Amino acid sequence: MKLSNLLKLPAVLALLASVPTAAEHTSNWAVLVSTSRFWFNYRHLANVLSLYRTVKRLGIPDSQIILMLPDDMACNPRNAFPGTVYSNADRAVDLYGDNIEVDYRGYEVTVENFIRLLTDRVGEEMPRSKRLLTDDRSNILVYMTGHGGNEFLKFQDAEEISAFDLADAFEQMWEKKRYHELLFMIDTCQANTMYSKFYSPNIIATGSSEIDQSSYSHHADNDVGVAVIDRYTYYNLDFLEKEVREPSSKKTLGDLFDSYDEAKIHSHPGIRWDLFAGGEQGGRERLLMDFFGNVQNVEVDSVGNDTELKEDLLLLGKKIAELRARSEAEEAAERNQTSPRPLLENHTTRRVTAAKVEVDENWWGKKAVGAWALAGCSLVWLAASYMES
Amino acid sequence: MCQLRSLLLVLVAIFSLVHAISDYHEQLVLRPLQPSLLLASFNFQSNTSWESFEQQNFRYFPRSLGQILQHANTRELHLRFSLGQWDAESWGARPWGGRREGGTGVELWAWVEAETDEDADGRWLTLTNALSGLFCASLNFIDSTRTTKPVMSFQPSGYHTNSTLSNLHLLHGTLPREVVCTENLTPFLKLLPCKGKAGISSLLDGHKLFDASWQSMSLDVTPLCLPGSEECKLQITQTIDMVLDIQRSKRPRDNPIPRPVPSEELKCDTSKPYHSSDVCFPLDTTSQEEDWSLAQIFGHAMKGTCPLATDGIDPVCIHVPHARQVYWSEGAQEHKDKSGYMRCFELAPESDFEMILPRQEISEKAPLEQPLLYAQRSFIGYGQERGGVQAILTNPSPTSAVDFVYMESLPWFMKLYLHTLTAKINGNSEDVIQEMYYRPALDRKRGTQLEVRMFIPANSTVILTYEFEKAILRYTEYPPDANRGFDIASAVITIGNVSIRTTSLLLPLPTPDFSMPYNVIILTSTVMALAFGSIFNLLVRRFVGADEAEKLDIRMLRRKVQAVASRLSRRFMKKTAKQE
Repeated sequence: MKLSNLLKLPAVLALLASVPTAAEHTSNWAVLVSTSRFWFNYRHLANVLSLYRTVKRLGIPDSQIILMLPDDMACNPRNAFPGTVYSNADRAVDLYGDNIEVDYRGYEVTVENFIRLLTDRVGEEMPRSKRLLTDDRSNILVYMTGHGGNEFLKFQDAEEISAFDLADAFEQMWEKKRYHELLFMIDTCQANTMYSKFYSPNIIATGSSEIDQSSYSHHADNDVGVAVIDRYTYYNLDFLEKEVREPSSKKTLGDLFDSYDEAKIHSHPGIRWDLFAGGEQGGRERLLMDFFGNVQNVEVDSVGNDTELKEDLLLLGKKIAELRARSEAEEAAERNQTSPRPLLENHTTRRVTAAKVEVDENWWGKKAVGAWALAGCSLVWLAASYMES
Repeated sequence: MCQLRSLLLVLVAIFSLVHAISDYHEQLVLRPLQPSLLLASFNFQSNTSWESFEQQNFRYFPRSLGQILQHANTRELHLRFSLGQWDAESWGARPWGGRREGGTGVELWAWVEAETDEDADGRWLTLTNALSGLFCASLNFIDSTRTTKPVMSFQPSGYHTNSTLSNLHLLHGTLPREVVCTENLTPFLKLLPCKGKAGISSLLDGHKLFDASWQSMSLDVTPLCLPGSEECKLQITQTIDMVLDIQRSKRPRDNPIPRPVPSEELKCDTSKPYHSSDVCFPLDTTSQEEDWSLAQIFGHAMKGTCPLATDGIDPVCIHVPHARQVYWSEGAQEHKDKSGYMRCFELAPESDFEMILPRQEISEKAPLEQPLLYAQRSFIGYGQERGGVQAILTNPSPTSAVDFVYMESLPWFMKLYLHTLTAKINGNSEDVIQEMYYRPALDRKRGTQLEVRMFIPANSTVILTYEFEKAILRYTEYPPDANRGFDIASAVITIGNVSIRTTSLLLPLPTPDFSMPYNVIILTSTVMALAFGSIFNLLVRRFVGADEAEKLDIRMLRRKVQAVASRLSRRFMKKTAKQE
């Protein structure tokens, strides 16, 4: 943070003092997962990409969006529109666009990687762009789509995540203080069963269809050749596009959920409030921008006065100068010490490389020796058997 | 191509001598190919001094990449994203002598500084993972089974001091299955100083690039030193080459599907005797050069020049005969070179640049450079158990022989039989193999690596064949789309400074019926239920002979019912008697 920004802090603090800071979040993250491979599941990737465009439009930066695409639709040889994915037959918006960052793609989209992402149990070499670096002040939107059933969701038609796995992953996130509030949306067949096992606090969950209900696609594009979007996602997007036009929107989750029309969606969307701190009432009043947009609220533990802050800054500056001087001195000393850099003595580098295939020049000679040895043995044997008889 | 290359060499030479003038350079070379195709080669190059790189003082060198290289102790890096097949027979030699292209998918090789092999492997892991995050590609799948350490095929192209050279480890990995799409182009453009906003990079659009018949994106980081001086610098070169179909590129983006042309727009050969309002013989336009413009091919005109490229090199060049008509937008200046086939344009910095080539009947064509070698590779054999690979290598030159290295890196489940490796020259088995390096595969640990140095005399064809066995994978090792087959990386042919890559292959492995476990579970459950039922019956039931069993008799039943009834009535009678 720049010094000028720091000096502006008191003004910001005065503003914040009037707002109850305890319930604030300071960052927004989105985890957008499609779980279907193959061209005929185009609509699932289009679902996810439309959500990606929406949260990006409302301000969440690419670094805070984890996008999982199990197949390549944009550059698929079957796609008549190379480099594009459309979620509507009018083809007004190219969802792939010119600027897209896919974090997990192809075979990387697995149940294991998804749970590792949520719980942050990853190897040390995992790049930051593929990690969910949230804390207890982060609001997360988790959107999933694919083919599912009663309490499971298929990943790439090869493996499944169960509702219990997902509930346990969220519980682990809560225990590790990895979220503040979480909005879980899922568009799949029998979607509402997927969130039925959740037991961690501060989760609002919504799904497209009840148990024994399918989730249907909305419409197909004849030139793309397949269905381009699912109904539930389509009407969610419809609301977000028409009602939530800019980041200052005051529309609430209640407004979004009230807009669901079962006659249009062709299934019964479900909403789960009981895990949320304020229950249904509190949840309904949450702004959509708390999950789909990006906020930069600042939380300060203790409100100090102006002089104290300046003193602290001064102290910090001195400390930095001191540390810098020390490290410079150390570096200089090191440089002096190792200026004639000793070459690696007593060190044998073992290189494992391919071995050279040698063609034996003396091939016939060796064969002859072998033949003679065999002949000699048989001669001895013959002689011995002759002597015995 | 020759002229182009010599020109570029001169430019590079000028660069390395007077690098103080500018540290960034970009150029686009357009080159029409037959039939109705256009090769566009974008080249972006910038330098940074070694000191400023060490001090993390980045100017044109991208910081994100620089820090990864420092973290992974990588001294030289080559990364390739490629799609499609180069048709050498009709397009001639490859751009940049094939040095700036990789096999289908993603290819990465680097020289990592480390003292031991284990350290090098660790840094390679760091490097691949970091690059996977940066380039949105699954480079983290380059694990030990996909990593090879070639002996002859790759040599460092940069300058390394002798002390570092002894600690450098070459590691090479390929991902033939990886798709290349807009998410790879986005970070690629972000590494450029002008970020695709101005200059030739503004022409790069994923919608056109990924519609190309062949395309290759490359990124090279090499250290360069002036001979005899201590001054060293790090050079980053990014290139994008694509072969665009002119007619296909001219289709509108919102309606790219070719539809029947209305009859009034048909171009008919009116000289035909049967030509009438309902009979049309298409007009032969092959003798005419296709008409096109930059905006038609790339979607929009070029947005000015990149202000950071101040070296005075013309940013746009086109390789057509001087007789070809070219119109360009105001403010630009044309420079024709002496060879007769190359002209470059000096652009006005602020205004958009557009170039139009009209339809023209022209007999003169820019000459094609003949490739040094034609290579094709395919599978032979049949069945689920074994197979073979055949590589046909033709030396088209009537006079000079070719000495080259052929490298294969095969996955572990394709088990090569080295004793079956044969090379036949013009049908006769002659000794053309001069040297061979081989590292056999270990199941699930590493792949096969084979390098063969061969010699093909002038005007001859060598057919190299070998056989292999297909391994059976474990149930969980199959990818979700196992029935599609497994991609085998392309073979790399190195002829001195030139390299050629064959196409990748698709190997069908024996795949199980993936619903089989469920069938097994169902069948086993049925068998178990049957067995349990019969054993339970045997243990619990008492078995008697049919004649011993009590027969069900209606009269017996009636008698029993009568007995019970009479007993009940008697008891009732007793009770009433007592009450009385």
